[in-house]
Amino acid sequence: MKLNVLLSILMGAGAALAQAPAPPPAPPPNIRHVIGLEKIKRNANGHLTIQNGVMQFTAKKGDATVAASSIEDIFVGTETGQSGGTAGRVVKTAAMAAPFGSGKVLTLLMRTKFDILTVVYRGADGGVHGVIFALPKGLAESTRSQLVAAGAHTSAPQTELKDRTK
Amino acid sequence: MKISVGIFLMLVASIAASAQKPAAAPKLHASAIQIDVVDVGDVSIPAEFRYAIYERLIEQIRASGVFKTVYRSGDKAAAAVPDLVTLHTEVEAFQEGSQMKRELAPVVVGSTKVDVTTQVTDKDGKKLLDQKMTGKVRIFGENLGATNDLAKRITKLLVASF
Repeated sequence: MKLNVLLSILMGAGAALAQAPAPPPAPPPNIRHVIGLEKIKRNANGHLTIQNGVMQFTAKKGDATVAASSIEDIFVGTETGQSGGTAGRVVKTAAMAAPFGSGKVLTLLMRTKFDILTVVYRGADGGVHGVIFALPKGLAESTRSQLVAAGAHTSAPQTELKDRTK
Repeated sequence: MKISVGIFLMLVASIAASAQKPAAAPKLHASAIQIDVVDVGDVSIPAEFRYAIYERLIEQIRASGVFKTVYRSGDKAAAAVPDLVTLHTEVEAFQEGSQMKRELAPVVVGSTKVDVTTQVTDKDGKKLLDQKMTGKVRIFGENLGATNDLAKRITKLLVASF
């Protein structure tokens, strides 16, 4: 009897789980604009989307678009830097004053690896632009593939994809 | 007596030295500059450094206000400017350091350094400026900070020359 009750509870729970709505899609990853987009501030965080043949970077203050067909080259690399953004930099700098160099431990703890995506495109006036993004590790190659699928050109398929972190 | 002779000789020497000083080079004039994409030649340098130097040069030369217009490489409108000058930057050497090493043992290890030759030419290709410059990041900051340092130095050179 008890076994039957337990089984029916488990089956009921299973059915309820099966009917539960799908979890919402994960938010787009946070990407840092290092330099290159004239309308966007240096080191602004935002989201990068590739839709309808257009690459769009949306930051808190404004956005910038680049037609994928105007992209002449894409390079992917990796880098090791400091996590925590501006706050992290302030904390680390303050910790440098700690006695016996103990603050340097933060340098070791606050390391993070990230990908670097360099997009070279030509503006409407013919001028060459180089845009550099810092992305979460492992995301640059897929972004590059999306850009190529959207119509971007590239001359260096994998040559830049090497770990230079030290 | 000996002292006064000594002072006299020192005075004469200083006057002679100041007279021999070459006159300051006359300033160059141009209303517009075109920034060429950085030429890396055979030097192994990551693409982001190459384009970060290029973009930072454009940004900082524009901010300096030395030239009325700063054109990017390939900009078609530049061809119509009669007194256009072009900035060429060629990478001679590159040493990529490590931010972590720099912060653990500042100055001793881990510095990032990029050596370039900077040339400014006129429309006929005549060299107006030719100088070697170095951009570095020694302690704080990302490796790409070396590109900012280099762009600042090149901009300073242009401000002094134009």
